[in-house]
Amino acid sequence: MIQFEKVVKRFGPRTILKELTLHVPAGEILFILGTSGTGKSVLLKTLVGLLRPDEGEIWIDGQEVSKFSEIEYLGIRKKCGMVFQQPALFDSLTVFENVAFGLRRHYRLPEAEIVSRVHSSLAAVHLPDASEKMPGEISYGMQKRVSLARTLALRPQVLLFDEPTTGLDPITTASVNLLIEELSRQFSTTSIVVSHDMTCALSIADRIIMLDQGRIVEEGSPDHMKRSQVPLVKEFLAEVVT
Amino acid sequence: MNSLVILNSVIDEIGSALLFFVNILKTLMRRPCSRDELFQQIWKVTMQSLVTTGLAGFFVGAIMAVQFTLQMREFGALGYLGGLATSATVREVGPLLIAFMLAGKVGAFTSAELGTMRVTEQLDAIRCLGADPLQEIILPRFLAIICASFFLLGLGLVMSIGGGILLGGLLAQVSVEEYLRHIPAIVTLSSIANGLVKCFIFAVILATVCTYKGYTTTGGAKGVGLAVVNTAVSTMVGIVVADWLTSFIADVAIRAFVGSPF
Ligand SMILES: Nc1ncnc2c1ncn2[C@@H]1O[C@H](COP(=O)(O)OP(=O)(O)O)[C@@H](O)[C@H]1O
Ligand SMILES: [Mg+2]
Repeated sequence: MIQFEKVVKRFGPRTILKELTLHVPAGEILFILGTSGTGKSVLLKTLVGLLRPDEGEIWIDGQEVSKFSEIEYLGIRKKCGMVFQQPALFDSLTVFENVAFGLRRHYRLPEAEIVSRVHSSLAAVHLPDASEKMPGEISYGMQKRVSLARTLALRPQVLLFDEPTTGLDPITTASVNLLIEELSRQFSTTSIVVSHDMTCALSIADRIIMLDQGRIVEEGSPDHMKRSQVPLVKEFLAEVVT
Repeated sequence: MNSLVILNSVIDEIGSALLFFVNILKTLMRRPCSRDELFQQIWKVTMQSLVTTGLAGFFVGAIMAVQFTLQMREFGALGYLGGLATSATVREVGPLLIAFMLAGKVGAFTSAELGTMRVTEQLDAIRCLGADPLQEIILPRFLAIICASFFLLGLGLVMSIGGGILLGGLLAQVSVEEYLRHIPAIVTLSSIANGLVKCFIFAVILATVCTYKGYTTTGGAKGVGLAVVNTAVSTMVGIVVADWLTSFIADVAIRAFVGSPF
């Protein structure tokens, strides 16, 4: 479904992604773990064309996309829905209009269809009554869920999550994690979750990748990771709450 | 060596800002923004700066009246006070002042707003949701700043004439009628054109710098603060340099076509 082939991304003199190669089969829930600043967000952003790789190839559904134009990328962004680290809601629009935003741009749908899709997306994130509120009027945890609903409304085949639980309290973290698993299985999407939450990765992921300084230092199933001897993985495992 | 590095980065920055400006123009040609959004932004910019510009205009008129009175009394030419003060305001002081006012208010506001949208990933989210931020976010703000500066220039001028009349009356006993009498003769079409061209150029500089700085913000809340400061500094410098350049070019043009500046 998704393939990175020796992708290199540089910012000025600094190389962030170093010949990264990565295959994600359809339907998989993949967790990418790593400390802050190793290039996890950059990885997701290169996938949807918000950043362009300097070298290497990116394949999505059998198409090499890294040289796509901005217009061609629109199709990719319909297919691969990204949920950002911050809620990134538009403050001047209601929750309803925020969720409808992508539907109005990516598709030409009758208004009734938009309304029903917005409501079903909000219901899927357990916020059925929030649609007339403004983003400023709801809690941060709710904003993150609205942001998830906004991406879900597009019915993407691939869901990309950038640190979905960073900065959330333990209870909201648990509910967001549950939501990710629920939605990925329910809509049988391919999911790539960028995180530094090993606990959650071990319980949800089909496969885990450990990223360090733009390179993959370990990958495998949760069971494999638990037995790993790679120092960074062991550090992450030490944080796991059981 | 160090100053060379700085010079290099300044040139780089100007280059990227120009490229950004070209991209805005391309967007304008291909996919103009929605009219509602444009009017909304014009309204916002105008309202934000109405009081400041009005007040500043009034005091500029007053200052000009005081300055010209001091000099013209000696020549017994007080009858020309209104005409000369207004002409100077139209040609030079008005556009410059409006640009500085807008740079402080709207420029700072716009770069902070766009910078916040950048660091909170809203601009990325817009692209992922199938829209073009240049078209939907940048273009309306860019055009609104330019349109609003003309409105505000008009307002500033009217207020400055008011300020001039008041001070001219108080200081030199120049009556309203006398103040206004020579305005049509001295404020020629060419000085109005001069003022409008300057106003336009300054507005384009301001609009480009503040949208560019906001759009390319990096580094969280601190980055937004930096973008705002840089916007203020770069627009002020840019406007002063552009003012000199336009005066210079106008001078050369007049010499070439008319033979002498008078
Ligand atoms: N647009 C950009 N311009 C320059 N440097 C960037 C940009 N985006 C990210 N970086 C740098 O790339 C590195 C990796 O960033 P990121 O992918 O956001 O890390 P994380 O793994 O915490 O998500 C960081 O050091 C960051 O400073
Ligand atoms: Mg990140």
